[in-house]
Amino acid sequence: MKRIVALVSMMALLALLLYVVASMPTMGDAGNPTNASEITKYYLENAEEETFTVNVITGIILNYRGYDTSGEVTVIFCALAAVLAVLGREKRGKIYAFADRSRVPSSVIVRTMVAFLVPFIILFSIYTIMHGELSPGGGFQGGAIIGASMIIFTTIFGLFESSQRIPQKIRFPLEGSAFLTFFIVGVLGLLGGGNFLTFAWPNISANLQPAVALWLTIFLEIGIGLGGAMVFISILFSMIREEEDVTAAA
Amino acid sequence: MSQLLHNYQYAAAMLLFCIGLYTVIVRRNIIKKLIGLNIMETAVFFLYISLGYLNDGIAPIRVGGADPSRMVNPIPQALILTGIVVAVSVTALALALVILLYRQFGTLDVDRLFRDEDEAEAEAKAGAEKEGAA
Repeated sequence: MKRIVALVSMMALLALLLYVVASMPTMGDAGNPTNASEITKYYLENAEEETFTVNVITGIILNYRGYDTSGEVTVIFCALAAVLAVLGREKRGKIYAFADRSRVPSSVIVRTMVAFLVPFIILFSIYTIMHGELSPGGGFQGGAIIGASMIIFTTIFGLFESSQRIPQKIRFPLEGSAFLTFFIVGVLGLLGGGNFLTFAWPNISANLQPAVALWLTIFLEIGIGLGGAMVFISILFSMIREEEDVTAAA
Repeated sequence: MSQLLHNYQYAAAMLLFCIGLYTVIVRRNIIKKLIGLNIMETAVFFLYISLGYLNDGIAPIRVGGADPSRMVNPIPQALILTGIVVAVSVTALALALVILLYRQFGTLDVDRLFRDEDEAEAEAKAGAEKEGAA
C-alpha cells in the first residue's frame, strides 16, 4: 500500500517536473539566460588576466570565490570533527578492525595488483593537485583520489597495515592544513597591501605579480589536497575501526 | 513536447531525482535511504551542470588561444564542486550516525528502530492470550 502511494505521488511529481522542463529554454543554446549573463562573459574574458590561472574554474574557486571555498574547506573539517565526536578517534597505535581478523586472507593476485597500482594512483593524484591551475583537477579532486587509493589499500591489506603507513601523528597536524593555508594566504594578502585573500599584491612590482599569484594558487591547491586527503582517510579509519573491548572479548 | 526531447538531459535529471526520492520513501534500510539521498544529490548536480552546457562548447581553459565565446559556462561547475564537497560531508556524518545506531540497536530497519518496545510486548501478550482462549 505504502509503495503504491509512493509510486503514484512520485509519478505526479515527475509529471509536474517534466512539465516545467518542457517550458525551459533549449539546452546548449548560446542565448540561454545562464550562458548569456554578464557575469559568465566577464569571468571567461577576464579570468586569465585577473587571476593569472589558465583554468577559469580554478580561478573562480580559489580567487573570485575564495571566501566561499575557505568556508567549504571548513565544512569538511566540521564533518570530520562531527564523525570523530560520534565514533571517537583511535588511541595512538592501537587500532583494530574486523577485516584484519578475517580467517580467509585476500588472494595473492589481488594483493599484488593493489600493491602495484596504489603508488600510481597516488602519483596521479599528485599530478591532479599540482596541475589544478592548468588542467581539469585541483585540490579537492586530488584529495579524493588519495582517499580512494587508501580505501582500496585498507580493504585488501587491513586497517593495521594502512594505519602503519599513515599513522595518527602524521594525520593529526595535517587535517586542518586546508583552512590553515587559506588563512596564511589571506594574511599574506593583507601584508602585501591588498585585502584578505588578495593574490596580486599591490605592494610589489607589477611584473612580479603574476608569478606570486600563481604560486599562491599552487600553495592553496597543495594545502586543500593534503588537508582533504587526511580528512577523508581519518573518516575512513574511524568508520572501519572497532572498539577495543570488542577485540578483547573475541 | 519537442522541447522535452531537446532538453532530454534535464528530463533525465528529473527522473533521477524522483527515483532517489522514491528510494528514500519506500526502503526500510537506512543505508538504502542514504543511497537514495545521494542519487537525489547527483540529480541536482547533473541538472546544474547541464544548465551550463553550450553546443559544440570547449572546456573553460584559456590555453592555446582558445576562444572565450565558445567555452561552456564555468560558474555551474565551480558551484557544483562546492556542492559535491558538502554532499560528501553530509554522507560521512550520516554514515557515522548509522554506525552508532547499529551498535546501539543491532538493526538498520526503520520500522524496528521506531517500534515502541512496551507496545510490542503488550501486543505479543494479547496475541498469546487470544490463542490460549481459542
